[in-house]
Amino acid sequence: MIELLAITDDATPPDPPLGAVRCGRLSVLWAPATEAALDADALWQREVLLEQLMERRDLLPVRLGTLVADERAACEAIAPRGEELARALERVRGAVELSVRALGASDDAPSPAPGEQTGREYLRDRLARDALAREVHAPLAAAARASVVLDGPEVLRAAYLVDRDEVDAFVARFRRLQHECSSVAMVCTGPWPPYSFAEEGDA
Amino acid sequence: MSAGPLAERDVALVDLLDRLLGGGVVIVGDITLAAANVDLVHVSLRALVSSVETARRQL
Repeated sequence: MIELLAITDDATPPDPPLGAVRCGRLSVLWAPATEAALDADALWQREVLLEQLMERRDLLPVRLGTLVADERAACEAIAPRGEELARALERVRGAVELSVRALGASDDAPSPAPGEQTGREYLRDRLARDALAREVHAPLAAAARASVVLDGPEVLRAAYLVDRDEVDAFVARFRRLQHECSSVAMVCTGPWPPYSFAEEGDA
Repeated sequence: MSAGPLAERDVALVDLLDRLLGGGVVIVGDITLAAANVDLVHVSLRALVSSVETARRQL
């Protein structure tokens, strides 16, 4: 069995034990499947591999744990989606993903028990959180090639696709927001491979 | 994304898990998903999210 790591259109072979199989215009990058448990260290090692691959080529990461029998099965698996994957690769070319999460001040307080909060209070709280999310998201989205707001309990959980050359400018904008919106705890991580922009409906 | 000091690494691990479990190209066909292992990751994700939130409340 092999584990599929990423899809690229770059023909450069990766270093062993990783392999690549050419399927039309695309290549599938893979690693030998292991039986090892997926603990944090194993996940980081996988991530480091992917980031090393990303340094030299544009790629679409494959969902964790995608195993196929062999290279032929890998090509058969991606063949029906070749054109769609090639388009997705164009969308992320030259860009990386940055993650932003924002927690509002009220997230620190225990949630009111059902019945303690009136409908009007709930609505006011909800509108305030939505306004805060927009205040953080809009300027960051404007500095990104694409963005997606993800489901989560935070005021904002979002991913931004940013040109490699623009990462420093994005982070500077994030730091200014952090300073201006002092009622919000904000975390930015990355750069990541474009996990959240790999599928067509994502952005 | 390099792993920095421990607390930062924990925050980054939550973001990594979000991406590994919810992102990436989803391939269908003759594939095997390592489902048993992913269940374990879900468990540690919950543990981590709660520890990050706890840590934040202590600030």
